[in-house]
Amino acid sequence: MSRNPGTIQGVIPPYILGRIIDHGDEHQRSCALTTLSHVQSLLHNPGRPGVRQAPVGALPRTDDASPQRSIFDAGNAMQLPGRLVRQEGQAAVSDVAVDEAYDYLGATFTFFNEVFGRNSIDGQGLPLAGTVHYGQDYQNAFWNGEQMVFGDGDGEIFNRFTIALDVIAHELVHGVTESEAGLVYFNQSGALNESVSDVFGILVKQYELKQTAAEADWIIGAGLLTDRINGKGLRSMAEPGTAYDDPTLGKDPQPGHMRDYIETREDNGGVHLNSGIPNRAFYLAALALGGHAWEKAGPIWYDTLCDSRLANDADFAAFARLTVSNAGRRFGAESAEVRAVEEAWAGVGVILS
Amino acid sequence: MRELPPLGKDTVVRLSRQGGFAPLHALSKPREIEFGQYDSAQRGRICSVLERCLPESGEPAQVGRGDQRYFKVELRFRPQATEQEDELTLLIPEDKAPSELVRLWDKGLVE
Repeated sequence: MSRNPGTIQGVIPPYILGRIIDHGDEHQRSCALTTLSHVQSLLHNPGRPGVRQAPVGALPRTDDASPQRSIFDAGNAMQLPGRLVRQEGQAAVSDVAVDEAYDYLGATFTFFNEVFGRNSIDGQGLPLAGTVHYGQDYQNAFWNGEQMVFGDGDGEIFNRFTIALDVIAHELVHGVTESEAGLVYFNQSGALNESVSDVFGILVKQYELKQTAAEADWIIGAGLLTDRINGKGLRSMAEPGTAYDDPTLGKDPQPGHMRDYIETREDNGGVHLNSGIPNRAFYLAALALGGHAWEKAGPIWYDTLCDSRLANDADFAAFARLTVSNAGRRFGAESAEVRAVEEAWAGVGVILS
Repeated sequence: MRELPPLGKDTVVRLSRQGGFAPLHALSKPREIEFGQYDSAQRGRICSVLERCLPESGEPAQVGRGDQRYFKVELRFRPQATEQEDELTLLIPEDKAPSELVRLWDKGLVE
């Protein structure tokens, strides 16, 4: 709960509080300073958070780097995890959402294991639990700190949320981020949190399809929108702001450059909007580096996500500087890879110095 | 803080659903409720819904993480007729939102 002006913590972004402190009257400045102090206390870096245990009914951890999947059916209710319908090694069932969740969680596990040597979400074999058929016509998919959850969509705007591999991977990667940098889900660090999920979500898809950066569509949520909607998907990493343009949904509002950065109190400070900027930076880096994006650009971003120097309240510039640093560590300080990463961030208007 | 401030006739409540993997503006369906358009009994019912939300309100950087949806309740009010306008914002995780709040957001105040 927040009070404005007042003494309670706020959803007011720190930049607005900063303006009040600079330009407000004495009472307003006092209130804003108190609020900013509290907000900053919420944002201090407590170290790497742990991922909670998977839900009851999920399989135990293993250390043999093989997935331990459990898929549950919520039966269109909103109680988690729901009824257990398929576990690791069991045959496909006659439910496409169950089988997509099973297959795509497996594909995501395989990607992280084969490309980065990571054993599941927390690197320690956390079992993968997913619930399908959550809610009635539910238009969302999410990670709740323990498991992935997928709605069926309403059939008018959205198809089922298991339809796209990158969507399932996106949600799983929220768990990876919580296990590593713990990027605070607010303003720029929140947009980075979202971008990291899009980056590795799209890499899982490209890895599965064996596509090069030049061949890939760079669309998040391709197939998720129904045929009634004029759109390619939810987000375009190559050209943010062009994924859809439809009478019902309006036009994709994502910016792809800092000059168009959206300052807003909605959507946790625009985490799903401004993520377009680091998304495009990754796309530009991957395209410049050529070949498969998971071979050079992916590892640079992964090293950054796991870098102990990455604060959980990092802004775009802080994250960008670490990607350059990690490109140098992997490929050499004077390498073409470093230059490509620097130019990618410059291309979206993120100033490194 | 676990109680509402006094909410007079000039109070405005804005309800929206936010967050999610696809936080489209068309899905947030913001609804504004102007207290001046309702009688005291109706205002009391709205306040009752808001009071039920108070214990469920979460922190800005916590609510919504991992694409979880939430309800944003924004109140603009004047504590006294002569005082400056004040604001109060509640962020209610979807899975903790009272059904009355969801109904108020979706349908408005239904008799």
